[in-house]
Amino acid sequence: MSYLTSGSTTGLAIRRMSATKEPVLDIKDQEQLGILVDISSCTGCKACEVACIQWHDLNPPIATEEELRENGFSYQSAPDLAANLFMLMKYQEAETDRGWTWFITKRQCMHCDDPGCLTACPSPGAIVQYANGVVDFDQSKCIGCGMCRTGCPFDIPRYDANDHPFKCNFCLDRVGNGLVPACAKACPTNALHFGTRADMVELGHKVVAGLKDRGFPNAALYDSAGVGGAGYVYALPHGDKVEHYGDLPKDPAISSLVHLWKGPLKWIGGAAILGSIAAMFMHLVTAGPKTVEAHGKEE
Amino acid sequence: MANVMITRLTAFDRLVHLGTAASFVYAFLSGIGIAFPKMHWLLTVLGGGEFARWLHPWAGVVFSVFGFLMILSYVKDMFFDTDDIKWMVGIVHYMTNHEEKLPETRKYNAGQKMYFWITVFWGTIIFLVSGLAMWFPDAFAAQVAPWVPGMGVRDLVLLATVVHEVMFIAAGAFFIVHIYMGTLGMPGTLSALATGKVTAEWAKAHHPKWYREMVRKA
Ligand code: HEM
Ligand code: SF4
Repeated sequence: MSYLTSGSTTGLAIRRMSATKEPVLDIKDQEQLGILVDISSCTGCKACEVACIQWHDLNPPIATEEELRENGFSYQSAPDLAANLFMLMKYQEAETDRGWTWFITKRQCMHCDDPGCLTACPSPGAIVQYANGVVDFDQSKCIGCGMCRTGCPFDIPRYDANDHPFKCNFCLDRVGNGLVPACAKACPTNALHFGTRADMVELGHKVVAGLKDRGFPNAALYDSAGVGGAGYVYALPHGDKVEHYGDLPKDPAISSLVHLWKGPLKWIGGAAILGSIAAMFMHLVTAGPKTVEAHGKEE
Repeated sequence: MANVMITRLTAFDRLVHLGTAASFVYAFLSGIGIAFPKMHWLLTVLGGGEFARWLHPWAGVVFSVFGFLMILSYVKDMFFDTDDIKWMVGIVHYMTNHEEKLPETRKYNAGQKMYFWITVFWGTIIFLVSGLAMWFPDAFAAQVAPWVPGMGVRDLVLLATVVHEVMFIAAGAFFIVHIYMGTLGMPGTLSALATGKVTAEWAKAHHPKWYREMVRKA
């Protein structure tokens, strides 16, 4: 049984839902979407950030002068993602073989093929992965437990005061209607390419090959193999220094503790609880209750 | 002799038992609703998913407070002796209702002592510590992460989740046995929870050594 067998007749088909068996997938055929972030073309102008805030009607955190001082007057709009800030341009500087270099990275939900949040979520249907690869929350089914952030290898979901999670939804309302996501639409330098995931990976390899020709021998494609690939793909000029790119994890993967917790422990737990109920029932009908009378006879 | 009653639980013991029992049942059932998608409907019965997830940790805290009091008042009768080891080795005689082949028990038999140590003693501590970690992941990670170098902040919370679940499996399976023995499995036991008293026959049949101690004292 699945809580939902497929998407509705109109709109997006559903590929996967939290705490639910796989929905039926052969009704509709929808392509996986992707965005390629070509970091070598990014100037750090934050047009994407503004477009994201504008499209999602966000009420973003505005730093006070004190907070700015604390953060060393960083170029960054905020120190971290927040429930009211779905994407953030991160700025770091580090030494490379080409000297002191800016590492400017767009950070948001990656839309994993195998999402850790969805695996960790205990509430049926609170996290949905559509057939086009977009991962989104259904707040009406969320019980507010916070496990989605714990299960996320990229540490993305952020919570409001009611413990409900928020993050990038790949502009589901736009892409579902044939529009480009707000961030990619706004990017003035073509650092953000939008298309099918397969096309973005192919384009990414071309960008990386071009970078290698232009004197970036360590250029690499960041494709999140550990989570089965992701909607977001990054072309990194300095592929040997992943950690400087806005704290991107080196080898993102769902923790083995999540698999232990959601796999073997569920089977052992179910067997232990049902097994003890069955064993007690068996005792009742075979050995029978320990009555005072029975003991009296034996003495 | 038929009407002779022996006091087994003081009013304090009974109050503490009621506190642990009520809070444990809520934490147990809501925990099952959270842990098993097929049992998600339990959360609806317990007040709704969001409500049950809100109340679960509070019920857990109540359990731990009463559990602490229970440890203080019960622990003196819970230490194992050599008879308990013989009892554990021959536990199959207990299951088949042939207690005469086992050493006579004092106030609590070895099974009850194990239940005390696992569900009450370790349950009170481990549910609370791991539960707090899942409840306040950021605060927990900030406190604990510096002590365990090499473990990511999120991994610590996941580890706590796994520990919580293992504790739940051990305590939960034992709890079912406990409920059975307190009701259907051993008639005359449940009323002791309300009145604190058992019949002399009950005491003689199930805890003979304790019975003689009580008679000697009287
Ligand atoms: C003593 C204090 C306790 C606290 C603070 C506490 C707190 C929590 C929290 C915060 C969660 C996370 C909910 C989630 O995953 O969404 C949880 C889950 C759970 N709790 Fe507790 N709890 C406590 C005691 C108990 C007790 C006494 C039991 C059972 C007898 C229990 C059984 C469970 C179970 C089965 C889960 C679900 C784990 C899973 O997702 O697989 N807890 N608890
Ligand atoms: S906070 Fe909500 S969406 Fe996130 S794991 Fe918990 S129930 Fe699922």
